[in-house]
Amino acid sequence: MASNKKYWKSVEELKENSSIVEKLKQKEFVEEIPTDQFLGDKDSLDSSATSRRDFLKYVGFSTAVASLAACEGPVTKSIPFVIKPDDVTPGIADYFATTIADGYDFANVLVKVREGRPIKIEPNKESSNGSANARVQASVLSLYDNNRLKGPKAKGESISWNKFDSEVGAKLNELKENGEKIVFLTGTCASPSTKSLVNKFSEQYGNVDHVVYDAISESAVLDAMKEMYGKRALPDYDFAKADVIVSVGADFLGDWQGGGFSAGYAKGRVPKNGKMSHHIQFESNMSLTGANADKRVMIKPSEQVNALIKLYQAIVSGVATREMSPLNTAVQNAAKQIKAAGGNAVLVTGIQDKNAQLLALQINKAIQSKVIDVANTRNIRHGDDVKVAQLITDMKAGKIGALITHNTNPAYTLPNAKEFIEALKKTKLSVSFAMNDNETASASEYVAAIPHYLESWNDVLIKKGQYSLTQPTIHKLSDTRQFQETLLIWLGSDEAYYDYLKGMWNNNVLGGKSWNKALHDGTFTVPVANDEIVTNDIDISAAGSALSKIKGSDLELTVYTKAGMGDGQQANNPWLQELPDPITRTTWDNYLLISRIDAERLGLENRTIDNGALNGDVVNVIANGVTIENVPVYIQPGQAPGSVALALGYGLEGLQKEMSIGVNAYPFANGIFQNASIEKVSGEHKFACVQLQHTIMGREDEITKEMSLADYVSRPKDWSTAPKFSLDHQEVTQDKVDLWEKFDDTLGTKFNLAIDLATCTGCAACVVACHAENNVPVVGKHEIRVGRDMHWMRIDRYYSSDMTVERGKEEGSFGTGEFFNAQIQPSDAPDVSFQPVMCQHCNHAPCETVCPVAATSHGTQGQNQMAYNRCVGTRYCANNCPYRVRRFNWFKYFDNNEFDFNMNNDLGRMVLNPDVVVRSRGVMEKCSMCIQMTQLTILNAKKEGRPVADGEFQTACSNACPTDAIVFGDVNDTKSKVSKLEKEDRSFKLLDFVGTKPNVFYQLKVKNIKEA
Amino acid sequence: MSNKVIQAMYDDDDVLLKAVKQTREANHQIEEVYTPFPVHGLEKAMGLKGTRIAITSFIYGVIGFSFSIWMLNYMMIVDWPQNIGGKPSFSFAENMPAFVPIMFEMTVFFAAHLMVITFYMRSKIWPFQTASNPDPRTTDDKFVMEVSMDDNEDQLSDFLKQTGAIELKVTEK
Amino acid sequence: MSHYEAPIREPLILGDKSYHDISNDIAAPIEGKANTWWWVVFSIALVAFLWGVGAIAYTIGTGIGVWGLNNKINWAWDITNFVWWVGIGHAGTLISAVLLLFRQKWRMGINRSAEAMTIFAVIQAAIFPVIHMGRVWNAYWVMPIPNQFGSLWTNFNSPLLWDVFAISTYLSVSLVFWYTGLLPDFAMIRDRATKPFQKKIYSLLSFGWSGTAKDWQRFEEVSLVLAGLATPLVLSVHTIVSFDFATSVIPGWHSTVYPPYFVAGAVFSGFAMVQTLLIIMRKVSNLEHYITRLHIENMNKVILVTGGIVMVAYLSEFFVGWYSGSSYEDFTYLSIGAATGPYWWAFWALILCNGVFPQLLWIKKLRTNFTVSFIMSIIINIGMWFERFDIIVINLSRGHLPSTWTQFEPTFVDIGIYIGTIGFFFVLFLLYARTFPVVAQAEVKSILKSSGDGYKRARDNK
Repeated sequence: MASNKKYWKSVEELKENSSIVEKLKQKEFVEEIPTDQFLGDKDSLDSSATSRRDFLKYVGFSTAVASLAACEGPVTKSIPFVIKPDDVTPGIADYFATTIADGYDFANVLVKVREGRPIKIEPNKESSNGSANARVQASVLSLYDNNRLKGPKAKGESISWNKFDSEVGAKLNELKENGEKIVFLTGTCASPSTKSLVNKFSEQYGNVDHVVYDAISESAVLDAMKEMYGKRALPDYDFAKADVIVSVGADFLGDWQGGGFSAGYAKGRVPKNGKMSHHIQFESNMSLTGANADKRVMIKPSEQVNALIKLYQAIVSGVATREMSPLNTAVQNAAKQIKAAGGNAVLVTGIQDKNAQLLALQINKAIQSKVIDVANTRNIRHGDDVKVAQLITDMKAGKIGALITHNTNPAYTLPNAKEFIEALKKTKLSVSFAMNDNETASASEYVAAIPHYLESWNDVLIKKGQYSLTQPTIHKLSDTRQFQETLLIWLGSDEAYYDYLKGMWNNNVLGGKSWNKALHDGTFTVPVANDEIVTNDIDISAAGSALSKIKGSDLELTVYTKAGMGDGQQANNPWLQELPDPITRTTWDNYLLISRIDAERLGLENRTIDNGALNGDVVNVIANGVTIENVPVYIQPGQAPGSVALALGYGLEGLQKEMSIGVNAYPFANGIFQNASIEKVSGEHKFACVQLQHTIMGREDEITKEMSLADYVSRPKDWSTAPKFSLDHQEVTQDKVDLWEKFDDTLGTKFNLAIDLATCTGCAACVVACHAENNVPVVGKHEIRVGRDMHWMRIDRYYSSDMTVERGKEEGSFGTGEFFNAQIQPSDAPDVSFQPVMCQHCNHAPCETVCPVAATSHGTQGQNQMAYNRCVGTRYCANNCPYRVRRFNWFKYFDNNEFDFNMNNDLGRMVLNPDVVVRSRGVMEKCSMCIQMTQLTILNAKKEGRPVADGEFQTACSNACPTDAIVFGDVNDTKSKVSKLEKEDRSFKLLDFVGTKPNVFYQLKVKNIKEA
Repeated sequence: MSNKVIQAMYDDDDVLLKAVKQTREANHQIEEVYTPFPVHGLEKAMGLKGTRIAITSFIYGVIGFSFSIWMLNYMMIVDWPQNIGGKPSFSFAENMPAFVPIMFEMTVFFAAHLMVITFYMRSKIWPFQTASNPDPRTTDDKFVMEVSMDDNEDQLSDFLKQTGAIELKVTEK
Repeated sequence: MSHYEAPIREPLILGDKSYHDISNDIAAPIEGKANTWWWVVFSIALVAFLWGVGAIAYTIGTGIGVWGLNNKINWAWDITNFVWWVGIGHAGTLISAVLLLFRQKWRMGINRSAEAMTIFAVIQAAIFPVIHMGRVWNAYWVMPIPNQFGSLWTNFNSPLLWDVFAISTYLSVSLVFWYTGLLPDFAMIRDRATKPFQKKIYSLLSFGWSGTAKDWQRFEEVSLVLAGLATPLVLSVHTIVSFDFATSVIPGWHSTVYPPYFVAGAVFSGFAMVQTLLIIMRKVSNLEHYITRLHIENMNKVILVTGGIVMVAYLSEFFVGWYSGSSYEDFTYLSIGAATGPYWWAFWALILCNGVFPQLLWIKKLRTNFTVSFIMSIIINIGMWFERFDIIVINLSRGHLPSTWTQFEPTFVDIGIYIGTIGFFFVLFLLYARTFPVVAQAEVKSILKSSGDGYKRARDNK
């Protein structure tokens, strides 16, 4: 309770309006102290017994004694804030709203700052673009990357900024004199202020061009939009409105068109009064989106084009192709669904071809889809392939005087990177604004070290009317300077970019509103007039016929991006390298995904060796006129036969040796797909997988429950396979029976965690959030390979198998060895289910019972608590855990050169969360339900003298989840969301029959299966 | 009253047994008998009282059992009850099944060790204790009977010779 | 006549022995010089032991990570070896205690060495629970002592803590039982010792035993009561060890048949190890007259019985698992899943070594043959090691959630520590064989007249 206690100072206060009390209020002493009498007149002073000498004697003596006495006790070194910044209180975290806009990921985030150090990125839920994916969550560690550039360089030699300015300035002026062309090559730059600076620059320097280049281009859709709606921007989609979603190769739960659609998508995936969205996915390699689809049709990229044309004909032209092929039936079925749903349907495609995108736009226009929004477009991709190609030819022709690259790494990401590097040599001046010494930086003459976004000022216009601000959360760690600052200097202005930015906003954006408010919120939305959509009528048939000319081949290669690595600009981030890929559950690698059929055809194998680790054959891949050597092969269930896929973002240069792994797939990142040929070469690749058994072995009923919408609607209670026990001759569920009198947990808070399998897309943002919040160590490829991953939470991924119990019984093989070995094999076209698993915090925890030293016991709030200091490391608890969520510190994972990751250098250690201890060697650790967060919440509520409001309790994972699939809270608070969820009929507990009574519960997945 | 003893040595356990019987019938005071191995019936023949060492062992066992109960109750229920896997640490009775093994082991531990210690104490055997057997051969294959004597040395030795003693030795005790 | 024994009974002591001969025979290895073979074997054992010490040092210095374990299989060779050694350590006390209660005279020839073997084996066993801890230096926390911050006690609900009590009680009680029995024999050596140093040592060891009638009376009483206490103790130890698994929730571990089946298995492997040692020792220390074909055959009979119990347990485990129809039971260490899975070899090694081969002992010709018995004892020890390996590794590798299925492979450190304990065991046993009276001569003397070959013949011929 807040303190309003009254402290009595004297009995006088008991009296109403006592004079003394009144006096005391004014003066400290009731009557005058006769100081003047004494000190005033000289004689009395002299006559007094203690002379000045004595007085000084006593003072000196007492000081000596005092200081001697003070010498006792330990003298601990500490470095105080000489002048404490008033916004920094040790132990109290500050949150700053800022925005990440690295050209690939754009999101409004909150930065948790402790003692002046940013230590965690959290989604800014009050903003419109507040879903932070795994890479955004991990970006805080990239701030503390040891490999970052520490200052500007010229020809590889580090120089001072003054030298840099004078030299480069001189060169620029020279070029200006000769009227030679200066080109800015940047990644997508959605910053109005930066754009205006570039414009100012071009005004001043005349012959200037600004070319935007996206490593992973969305040029196709941009051009299509330009042609159809006259503006080169991305359409926006609100999948929450969709009843039918048909996707042709669009991984819209991943990074398709900038991503960020999962929240909306998830809204439609929970059945509300018997209705939910229906999602059909046509794709070649198993993507997150395909894994979540109700119906997944696996077809080669060339067939996707074909399918898109058929869809167009069926929906727009209304001619259904009569052709007896499973593909066609699927297509016609999809078309039927779309037509039926009309405006509530949407078709999206990831085919990187302008014509394909035109078709898609046309279909959505034809059905007047409410899902797509072509008016309020998104600005997070601008790359223009044509211009980039033109630029390179110009460079080769020597027409380019200066090339200034910023926030892009073409020397690595361009398919024709070598050409680019050659061409770069032909320019008179090449400046690279880069954070680390990447390919482009090392190829350029001058390198200007730029700060991390957490050290910078900037603004972003993510979507039409939605402005965001980026603000520094820490002083620059090294001698870096923002691109914009440099531009200002080149413009000869001495204005700081902050002032320029503020000015820009006050004049053009805020319209009189408060800058501080905007800075506090991190976002500022200006109302946009719904201006009339101008539609140019275009020759679709031409587009169609152009498309239909695309010919397939018997091995089509596509490139894709992983949830962890994206375009690879954070490749030096160990959290992301160690993040298991949601689909393959493999870390520290990229690999050639291939279907089982093709693998057998080409004699390629994946082998599980004695220690359970996976080894794979190695191949050379020839496509697009390039050969990439020694690519490991990973046999991927659900990979369309005749297609292979390779992940982008690996094989960079200039990284720490642990991180420089994989092969660079960008040479293949060109067009829709590549006709590839692969040849097996000698050698064996060692994979580091965290999951080696891919099927669920007929245990669905107790582990991942799933059911069709029809079943869910007709008999909603049917799936509950909770074991029944007989108590007084009554059939009861096991939560009613108990060996012993149970502890009373109805008082105070009791935490429960709800995980909705229907809305969990497996995006793995929570895994990184947990990693960051709880100082989970990075253990490296080898340790992962031998099954020692330390992630406190994992997302299990199960494939369906062709061999079911039913089929086994039919064939009579059930229960035999061959049955089991068949059951272990995933289907070639599997259904996929995800299941996040962390410590289930069992009320009857098997781990607690077996610990000989009582190092793990149960908290009154329901957590299963782990006392690291008491642990002697018998590992019995981990053996007795049915969920296998406990993690053992096999080695010392910090300050240990064997594990040279962020915990092994001073910079990297700055990211550690001071509220969570770093575990020592030989102790067990596991999910704590983020007890440091919940206790803080309770403490704050106490201080403010109020009960904790629902939704205040958060864990790192629940907070990070973009689809709110993870809900955390107090079940003793009957009004809380989690307690409502617990009573919902979809709720079940993992391995209920073991009787562990977990405090984590799941909600089963409903699939909207519609066969036609 | 002098405390001289005469030590009669035999080389066979049956002979010894007979001799012991005869000696007692002849009302001679048998001080002690040293044998290399337990000769059955000897203590009866000598008229020794039965040992009560088994009873002490039982008592020790009871002590161990009670101690274990006290310890378990104090440590798990009274001093620091924790919620361990939901086990009812608030009631000894309900939590007891988990403690049975400890109770058993403690009982055996006390009974066995304290009994052996008692045995050592009573028989005066412990490190640096010097042996009291009169002749080294009594641990090998010879048997010695000590008979106390006053001035009837010759008569007694004759008697012992008849019982089959192969050697006689008179010593102060 | 008090020494009568039915002529039909085979003599337990061969040759025409007198009491003195027995003393000579038993004292011979102690007073004589070690032959070259002893030195060869001893040095091999010593090297193995030192290797093990190195491996342990490396583990403690670097971390448990140097073993082949992972976050799903947190135990493997460490606890396998622990249970294996504890099991072996059951024969001695069983022979000296249970057979004493059953008045089995033939135990007297072998109980001394069997008990020695027990104690040395339990010492090996005790090593593993300690070094398998992640923080060995805190191992003393498993003792019920308050910590420096006040009364933080141990968790008496934990089977691992029951182990601590069971093993320490068992080890210490076996030790006193063994030592008390040794006193008269030490006294014998002391009294015939000629070298002054030897005399000093043995008079110290013999606690001044003088063999008075009262001492003998108490001695026999104590032996009897200790036997009475040790019998339930010996059964309790492996019962409690089996609780480590039986009280858990892991498929294959969570099994009510474990306690009796573990005890039987322990006796099974223990007798096998006794065979291994004694068949060699009777030759090396020429004790053919005291450790006879009869002893070997009797032990083989015990092996047959306990082996039978173990086999029945296997079958019931296999059947119940299969009959339950639960998919979680399909991959336990005794299941079709295991027989056809990645650990098929371990499964079949178990079945063959423990189930099939020992059945040969039904044939008298084979069970009375020393070479066969020796080979059989080795096979059984291997089989029993695999039993524990299967129970731990196979079951942990196939947990509840298929996503956590994995496999285990030992590192050279795992192997080194195991070899090291074997070396340590033999170092101790060889030293024992040279310095201790390896047969309880006092007891043997007491049955010489009844079942000594010479005396029997004399009796029967008149």
